[in-house]
Amino acid sequence: METSSLVTDNLLEVRDLVVEFTTEKGTIQAVKHVNFSLAKGETIGIVGESGSGKSVTSLSIMRLIQEPVGKIASGEIIFDSPKMGKVDLLSLSKDEMQELRGNDIAMIFQEPMTSLNPVYTCGNQVMEAILLHQQVSVEEAKKRTLALFDRVKLPRVKKIFNAYPHELSGGQKQRVMIAMALSCNPSLLIADEPTTALDVTVQEAILDIVQDLRYDEETSVIFITHDLGVVAEISDHVMVMYKGETVEKGDVWDIFNEPQHPYTKGLLACRPRLDFKMKVLATVNDFMEVDEEGKLIEKENNKYKSVGEALLLNFETEDEIKDRTKDLMMRPAILEVNNLKKYFPLKKNWLSRHREYVKAVDDVSFKVYPGVTLGLVGESGCGKTTLGRLLLRLLEPTSGEVTFQGENILTLKGNEMRRLRKDMQIIFQDPYSSLNPRIAIGEAIMEPMRLFKVHKNDKERKNRVVELLETVSLQADHFNRYPHEFSGGQRQRICIARALALDPKFVVCDESVSALDVSVQAQVLNLLNELKEKFHFTYIFISHDLSVVKFMADRMIVMNKGKIEEMGFAEDIYNYPQKAYTKNLIKAIPKGDLEDVRKAQLRRKLEKEKRMQAKM
Amino acid sequence: MLSFIAKRFFSGFMIIVGVVIVVFFLFFALPGDPVSMMVGQRTDDITREAIRKELGLDQSLPAQLYLYFRDLSPVSIHKDTPQEQQKYDYTSLLCFGESVLVLKVPYLRRSFQTNRKVSEIIGEKLILTVILALAAMFFATIVGISLGVMAALRQNTFWDHFIVTNSVVGISTPSFVAASLVSLFFGYMLGPYLGLNGIGSLFVTGIDGRELHLENLILPAFTLGIRPLAIIVQLTRSSMLEVLSQDYIRTAKAKGLSYYKVIFKHALKNALNPVITAISGWLASLLAGAFFVERIFDYKGLGYETIQAVYNLDLPIVIGATLIVASFFVVVNIIVDLLYALVDPRVRLR
Repeated sequence: METSSLVTDNLLEVRDLVVEFTTEKGTIQAVKHVNFSLAKGETIGIVGESGSGKSVTSLSIMRLIQEPVGKIASGEIIFDSPKMGKVDLLSLSKDEMQELRGNDIAMIFQEPMTSLNPVYTCGNQVMEAILLHQQVSVEEAKKRTLALFDRVKLPRVKKIFNAYPHELSGGQKQRVMIAMALSCNPSLLIADEPTTALDVTVQEAILDIVQDLRYDEETSVIFITHDLGVVAEISDHVMVMYKGETVEKGDVWDIFNEPQHPYTKGLLACRPRLDFKMKVLATVNDFMEVDEEGKLIEKENNKYKSVGEALLLNFETEDEIKDRTKDLMMRPAILEVNNLKKYFPLKKNWLSRHREYVKAVDDVSFKVYPGVTLGLVGESGCGKTTLGRLLLRLLEPTSGEVTFQGENILTLKGNEMRRLRKDMQIIFQDPYSSLNPRIAIGEAIMEPMRLFKVHKNDKERKNRVVELLETVSLQADHFNRYPHEFSGGQRQRICIARALALDPKFVVCDESVSALDVSVQAQVLNLLNELKEKFHFTYIFISHDLSVVKFMADRMIVMNKGKIEEMGFAEDIYNYPQKAYTKNLIKAIPKGDLEDVRKAQLRRKLEKEKRMQAKM
Repeated sequence: MLSFIAKRFFSGFMIIVGVVIVVFFLFFALPGDPVSMMVGQRTDDITREAIRKELGLDQSLPAQLYLYFRDLSPVSIHKDTPQEQQKYDYTSLLCFGESVLVLKVPYLRRSFQTNRKVSEIIGEKLILTVILALAAMFFATIVGISLGVMAALRQNTFWDHFIVTNSVVGISTPSFVAASLVSLFFGYMLGPYLGLNGIGSLFVTGIDGRELHLENLILPAFTLGIRPLAIIVQLTRSSMLEVLSQDYIRTAKAKGLSYYKVIFKHALKNALNPVITAISGWLASLLAGAFFVERIFDYKGLGYETIQAVYNLDLPIVIGATLIVASFFVVVNIIVDLLYALVDPRVRLR
């Protein structure tokens, strides 16, 4: 235990917090005896996967746990309020808590898309918070709102003031959310995965805003994320949570330099890296296991002794890379795309013939070679998903041609196209919604086989399904279970098994791991690579996450506004990006290595001294 | 937006045309003879023929339909005679020869029975039905939304179950059953204590002429409001529950807003969208659906009048009343769409 609870100048001290949820299966402790403290002007990063209790911890501080399902069972949350002095948030009355919320403690949520009320203008919603907590006139509140919008670097602030949430992009909405959170100069800001749904370049800008905040206002920040790279960049301290428990906490440098707990080691090792190419990703399970009492322990005689070792053992040298990529492009292309275009009409104006279009895919040509994984990256709205669907003819293109194994698939009739569908499969982004909740997973995997009359009868098909389930590390007795009984990672495996059922030659993975936790993501990525070795697939791997694409892809395409920005071998593009767009994209990714942690710490120290001097 | 409204108006117009055609042919499928209804059985054939001719019943069905549409159309061609002028009360636009292109108020003809203008009769009765429907809807909306919000806020408690169970009963009770029961209990048995009548219209012609009896509105409006009330309760409840689980409600709470402000400012406005559609849809159908209730309470509105007209085979009134109700449906639905756009800014994009 830290001794910080004795130190009196902490802004926030969470002591022995226990949060319970009542479910059909009984009472579950979502947060188990969590302790941490936060000094003024400091940032603590809380890291963990879904279900680790990190969001519940933050909601408990706001006292926003959904009652009566959830309940703060015990503990103390001591907060040093500017007005009330030191108070235990858990013993405050509802009215007193309301007074604090949004005023002294503010929160930014993960989903900017749904966190703003659709029926009020953005300006209105920020003004509401100001008018609520501060005795100012409506005009003054409006002035302050516009100033806040300026501060979070929103463009054309007056227009956005009167705009409804649906008229803004995701990044802009998150800025409005931040403006709302900052509106009353809170002394504590809780950011719950504020950048998870956003592009890396937008993420960088948002992180900058949060950084500036602590320099300018000495705001303390609780930053919750699953991305260790982001933590490295922004926090002074790190707390790692797993299944409601704190597994490790300490200074950011210590955590990254010398992780003690096997789970932390696993987390650090399982991230795909930008700086070098890995053969296989280490997984959390390489480091830890659960003993008979249900406790996490370090795996005995584990594969890797440390994070460094895990990286070193799987490191692919430059010679190996050269070897591997040398004859990738020797064989004839399996898929050839020529001048492919897809325009979506923006406004239909029936009076005049003139129409406006969104050019989702604008004159794109490339080749895909057999056995090669082609990565497709770009920011949201760049057309990568549309392109993926065009390749499978799930969407009809405006013009251009797609040649698959020598046939132009765009001219094929229904029957002929169906025949080809067998060879081309897609794995979607969201494993939660892409499985029918009312169909047992075995049936779901069998369905395409029946459709294409693969194998003689259902018995043979069933054997094949069991085989497939085992291929994706599930068990034969999972056949009759329903999707809700599986975790996200398992569901994605089921989707993979379904895609494999027809022995396709060509698989499109559309953001297939984006919805998964990093530790699970590593397992799925490894699986996809194993399958590729085994069945000689050709993948098109679509993702907004450049480090994931870097790990998976041999060749890659960077897309921007429907056009190909850059195309080539993945290594070349990462090491020597040619275009400014690609450079920006790569620069914006938080790397999370020690070098970065040190730089970030140094920068913060300098910044602090500079402000101190400026004050004097 | 404008083209959207224009399209809606056009389809509404087509619906009204269709309604006229269907009602017109249905009428002739009804058993009985309007002429004998008018003059009784014992009249001689010559008189009958004369009346038949006067009403236009001697012509072929398609011809009759054509003439009816001609009377209905605001722009039409008529003979330029004083009689025609008096009959249609038109404004001439263009003269050519004996005919004239005119602009007029749609002519709904005269009642077979009383020879009064149909538009006058309907106008008189419609007011009563509109008052009844509005009163019913007002009651249903206010009580329904309040109960719905209450049930949502106390989800899974006794009050929630109580409200939901009762609303199911409300939805499944046919209006004539409800009307009979309400009339019996509140009007007849409890009537003397409550000062309510089992039957009676809003205006009663007494010794001092027409008297307003507002208390006669209460029971029919209550009965008519039961079904929409029950549906509004359920809609409000489910829509409110859904909205309350949305992320922006959490944002509103995190802002430090009070419980009531979160509920009434942030949740209710979002939750009301489906309710508005239901309310407006029901308003239109209440106008039409008041038939049984008006009949049982002897409330002399449009529904009462229409039923009488069907008994008497009084074609002009039947068509006229149907037409008015259909037009109401169309206009109300267009208004609903506009309201929708007003409440939810996201709809305005389309």
